[in-house]
Amino acid sequence: MPHTLPQALLHQAHTRGAATALRYKRLGIWHERRWSELADDIGQLAGALQQRGVGRDDDLLILSQARPEALLLALAAQWLGASVTLLDPDRDNRALLTQLRPRWVLAQDLEAVQQVGECEAVVYLDGRGLNQPQHARLIAYADLCVGASTPACAAHSNDLAIVFHTDTRVQLTHAQLLAGARTLIAREHLGSDEEALAARVFAASGQARYLLTPWLLAGFCLNFPEALSTRDTDRRELGPTLVLGTRESYGRLEEWVRERLPLPGTFSHRVYTWAMQPTPSPVRRWLGHWLVRRPLRDVLGMSRLRAPLLVGPALSPHSAAFFAALGIRPGNWQEPSTRHEPVAPLLSQTV
Amino acid sequence: MHAPTETVLLRLDDISLSFKGIKAITSISFEVKAGDICGLIGPNGAGKSSLLNVINGVYQPQSGSIRYAGQTRRRMRAHQAAEGGIARTFQNIALFKGMSVLDNVLTGRNLKRRSSWLEQILRLGRAPREEDAHRLHAEQVIAFLQIHPWRHVLVGTLPYGLQKRVELARALASEPTLLLLDEPMAGMNAEEKAQMSQFIRDINREYGTTVVLIEHDIGVVMGLCDHVVVLDYGRKIGDGTPQQVRANPEVIAAYLGS
Repeated sequence: MPHTLPQALLHQAHTRGAATALRYKRLGIWHERRWSELADDIGQLAGALQQRGVGRDDDLLILSQARPEALLLALAAQWLGASVTLLDPDRDNRALLTQLRPRWVLAQDLEAVQQVGECEAVVYLDGRGLNQPQHARLIAYADLCVGASTPACAAHSNDLAIVFHTDTRVQLTHAQLLAGARTLIAREHLGSDEEALAARVFAASGQARYLLTPWLLAGFCLNFPEALSTRDTDRRELGPTLVLGTRESYGRLEEWVRERLPLPGTFSHRVYTWAMQPTPSPVRRWLGHWLVRRPLRDVLGMSRLRAPLLVGPALSPHSAAFFAALGIRPGNWQEPSTRHEPVAPLLSQTV
Repeated sequence: MHAPTETVLLRLDDISLSFKGIKAITSISFEVKAGDICGLIGPNGAGKSSLLNVINGVYQPQSGSIRYAGQTRRRMRAHQAAEGGIARTFQNIALFKGMSVLDNVLTGRNLKRRSSWLEQILRLGRAPREEDAHRLHAEQVIAFLQIHPWRHVLVGTLPYGLQKRVELARALASEPTLLLLDEPMAGMNAEEKAQMSQFIRDINREYGTTVVLIEHDIGVVMGLCDHVVVLDYGRKIGDGTPQQVRANPEVIAAYLGS
């Protein structure tokens, strides 16, 4: 039984090495990584971090949207026994970063690099606009792994694994994360055949607790959208079986549907209202399913959804009723969440 | 990408253009250095768009010559301009409204295709490999200009500011050496203008593309351009850095106001 997150990763690589571990979209095309490939990549990254001086007492701060590189580097740091601090990339973190004074940072782009003050090294993913030769502390992610060999996994179960800074500081050890994940896997009956979509995986502690750690333990496939702004399109393409959201993210989807409903008083709107109402009649239920509810779930990318999870406060009565009518009843996992939804363009969507 | 072989990429020498006796441009000469962002400013009817049309061969001047990428021509033909690495956007958006963003951007790759029409129809020979390469390049441009959320959306359904960005993407897809932008920020709000300015600056820096643009927002031009040419009634009245142009008494009197 794995006692740390890297051990869970290695366990998956040994037992299910050829299965798809990670799927991500880049330049409009979905790419896949297997568990064995992922373990190799993370081992090499751990070697690269070790070469640059990262060790057990260190902390790697991550300022990035859901990107596979960020996930791999986080696990590589944990491989060495270091902890990972996750900050919400959609917030202005400058004041917090001044307090934290991180030594090692992974920054997604120029904007994130500019938020970070003085530190030992900043690994960046997107070099657009960065004048790299002028800053020796800037390292391109692509240059990180050159000539690195895999070190022994140095993480212990009581090591700090993840630190969050929202309204309060949340620290979780490997043991705590794994215990939480085991409970969730058992209660939600998660298996290795799940397809999970993780759009804001580094933005809230609930995502790491109830999505990342179960991913490593259960061995299902984690999917990253191309960008936060494409998550709705990507969800529709994927049809995930497992999603994890907050009251705000479920509310955003409900709002999005309501904005696109036919005008009240029209025949289409009456059909929608009729189909969404609970009814004891099996014929009406069947018709409502095929005429309205099933197409609506398709448009939302939730037609295959089996395990909708909710972290933080419960859904508003409106949202709860809406999703219940669609047969979606998110399992609530108590987690303090102060994450606010950014306004995302949704022009590509039509209901 | 076409590498500039000399410091001056474009030189217009004594260009004059008239339509049925009405002079649109009178003896205009100026240079654009490789890697510069050059702004053409002037009141409506000053001849800015006509000059852009002369550069990319839509209009043929009655006199003067154009030296572009080391070659001097009495007049530039449109196909020569396109093949030589000149791409442009239009004042009034000229996109295929019934096609998706991706398909519009892919049309910018047409001149790069080497496979025959038969190979393309039957997907034989060079066509499949070429298709993949063009798709990859188009996707890189789409990502660069951050229009990936609308990749498969019909262009006609997009708001105006986004359509302008798609048009820029199509021009950029052709890997231009010289990019001509005719009022790329017309009709945009301040936020959209700032975003478009940043994209133009990024294109110039990351791709090394030389840019000639027409813009009415003087603040944007002065902040964005390395070099500004001022036109008035078809004549050049100013030419220099934004600071020099700002201090030019003739420009102040004619255009900027005292």
